[in-house]
Amino acid sequence: MTPENKISWFCTYTPLEILDAAGWHPVRHFGDPDLLESADEMLHPAICPYARACLSQELRQEGPHHAFFVNSCDAMRRLYDVWKEEFQQDFVYLMDLPRNEGVWGRKLLAEEFRHLIGVLEDHSGVKITAQLIQAAGMAREEARLAYLESAKGLKGRARLEAAMRFQGGTEQPEPSSRKGRPVVLTGNLLNPTGIITSLEQAGAMVVWMDLCNGDRSFASSTYVEGDDLARLLDAMAARYLEKHPCARMQDKGRHYQLLVDRVRSEGAQGVIYASLKFCDSYLYDFPLLEERLKQEGIPLLRLESDYGDGHVGQLLTRVEAFIEMI
Amino acid sequence: MPEHGAHRELKEEVKDRFLDKLSPSMVRSKLFWASVERLSRSRLNRPQWKADRVSLAHFLRNTRDAYLKRAPVVWTNLLVPSELVIGLGCIPFYPEMAAAAVAAAGLAPRFIDRAIEIGFSSDGCSYHRCLLGCAIEGFLPEPDLLISLNYPCDSAPLSFGYAAGLFNAEQVIIDIPMPGRPSSRALLAAQLEEVAMKMAGLSGLKEEEMMRGLAESIELSNQALGYLCKVEELRKRDDCMLDGKDAMGNISVLSGCLGSQAGAEFYRLLLHELEERGSVGEDSKRLMWMHLKPWYSQAIFDVLDRHGVRVVCEEYTHSCWEAMDAGDPFNSLAAKVGNHFLVGPLERRASHLVRLADNYRVDGAIHYNHWGCRQSCGGAVHIKRELRRRGIPTLLLDGDCVDHREYQEGQISTRLEAFLESLN
Ligand code: SF4
Ligand code: SF4
Repeated sequence: MTPENKISWFCTYTPLEILDAAGWHPVRHFGDPDLLESADEMLHPAICPYARACLSQELRQEGPHHAFFVNSCDAMRRLYDVWKEEFQQDFVYLMDLPRNEGVWGRKLLAEEFRHLIGVLEDHSGVKITAQLIQAAGMAREEARLAYLESAKGLKGRARLEAAMRFQGGTEQPEPSSRKGRPVVLTGNLLNPTGIITSLEQAGAMVVWMDLCNGDRSFASSTYVEGDDLARLLDAMAARYLEKHPCARMQDKGRHYQLLVDRVRSEGAQGVIYASLKFCDSYLYDFPLLEERLKQEGIPLLRLESDYGDGHVGQLLTRVEAFIEMI
Repeated sequence: MPEHGAHRELKEEVKDRFLDKLSPSMVRSKLFWASVERLSRSRLNRPQWKADRVSLAHFLRNTRDAYLKRAPVVWTNLLVPSELVIGLGCIPFYPEMAAAAVAAAGLAPRFIDRAIEIGFSSDGCSYHRCLLGCAIEGFLPEPDLLISLNYPCDSAPLSFGYAAGLFNAEQVIIDIPMPGRPSSRALLAAQLEEVAMKMAGLSGLKEEEMMRGLAESIELSNQALGYLCKVEELRKRDDCMLDGKDAMGNISVLSGCLGSQAGAEFYRLLLHELEERGSVGEDSKRLMWMHLKPWYSQAIFDVLDRHGVRVVCEEYTHSCWEAMDAGDPFNSLAAKVGNHFLVGPLERRASHLVRLADNYRVDGAIHYNHWGCRQSCGGAVHIKRELRRRGIPTLLLDGDCVDHREYQEGQISTRLEAFLESLN
């Protein structure tokens, strides 16, 4: 990788195989949770702290600042706007993402892939063929399976760090020796040194992380085969929309069912819902999920993260009480 | 019941007679609506503009019909084109506007707190917390269908998702594609057509009736647009009587009445009256207002008045689409909605605001940062910069449009005073 072909990505719906095929080296941006206040000048403080942490870190870094955004939420769209304005020399792209998983959603996303390919080809002069995408998809699929293999037995923070490493980070996870009550963690995105660490201290053993920087990124395959580019992209769009969804997608029923299935298959005794402040997708999701888990008899604890998680100490008692209760 | 158009005395009377005793069954009784409508026609209702009488009557009728279930009720968020719903014989109900009306009546905190009790976070937009609280308490008309567009914000698709479960009704989310893509228009038109078929099914319209209904509503919308454009020309004059603090309420007409007789009549009357009525008679500083205003308080505008500053244009109440082709409703509506300045990247909103600022020759601008509105607050700094580049000083005011408990009167007026001083 040269700095010139490194491109930051932020959302698990990013079509990494297309970026790979175009010769980019996509690396997930996690931002610096300790710096996020420095973004206040540009993004209102009531915007997702992940978005603000990414911006803060980038503003302090040398370029290039190539970045690939997905129009997944208001915060991401606004982060894209600022990024585009700040880093005018760099390749900064916003891809649309439907909420519908049905026929119009698939068409829209396939069109987005087609449009993206055109833009990437114009930008780099590289012809992006079905074969290139398929080969990149295969490599991505191998990496996904490698993560799932290497994550076997990893719990909590170590598991999250492994997931982040596979998304482009560099740290090697320390295998966790802690024991505790098995729980599934669900939410948007967490910092590995924050809430998740306190969960371990409180006696929770996180066996699956339905987080977008955790296992959710690896839960579904997007690999498709075919020599015809148009058909390949249609199939890819369908696969992307069939992925294990996050709370922004329309089909809540499927989202919740997959979570319940995961709780059962992992033998978890409860669910911890930990989401970043100001993330509307998750703020509006909670009451519905709570209702569903209640019907299933699965205990649930809600925690909130500001990404930096300086307050985790205060959460310990609540988590301990929850662990005791389950 | 919309806040728009109701005269203060009328509001007082409604408050005394009904608000304190308001219950879900009351808003579903014919007697209640008969009394409200009688009151609105009484001498107590002396709106500032004759046009307001038309819009008030329209909203009262629509809201009554929605509660009394006289036609299928479709919940819609701000950008859903009312022409589509009206043309198909359904009643569009805009819960976000209902939340503004509830706020204006001073009732929002009770409903907001109810939503929080259920688990909705206080970090979310209070329009949506309020409407969810109202829905949970049984105060909103039950929808037969909920339509939310993926713009202007994430809140509507998400909160309507909850409401759909509550009422066991279908929710359709329409994904407006990114503007400027070759297939954007066609993809949006196809989604609009699909949802139109659903509405036609609800109201029992055959295909030709559906197309006739749409053609009619588009014609009426075009008429309204024609008058609105002329209203805008008059508003550009130095001395225009229509103050933005009042015009801001017209968002309910622009979003909810187009496609109806009332929509066209409203703008026709407004134009007529603007042509007739003279000038404000004084020179004043000209302001642009961005995003929405607090519906429960006039305090900000009192300060503006004291400083001789007038809001001459507002972000959401101007025309931003072309006349439509009644023979091609879905493509036309797709063009109208898909090109809205709130769709896609912020540069589109910024250009709209810069254009407004230029056209209305503003001396300054205020962006009201409604707590929890990521789409607008998230872009406020950028917009401020864009305006500053053009020499337009801009104030970002943090507050809440719906929840008066979040309104820091002292802080707001200190910052506002300082800003207004600097303008002078
Ligand atoms: S955490 Fe939520 S608000 Fe932040 S980027 Fe993800 S979906 Fe958007
Ligand atoms: S105020 Fe903002 S978040 Fe709330 S409904 Fe309006 S656009 Fe959406």
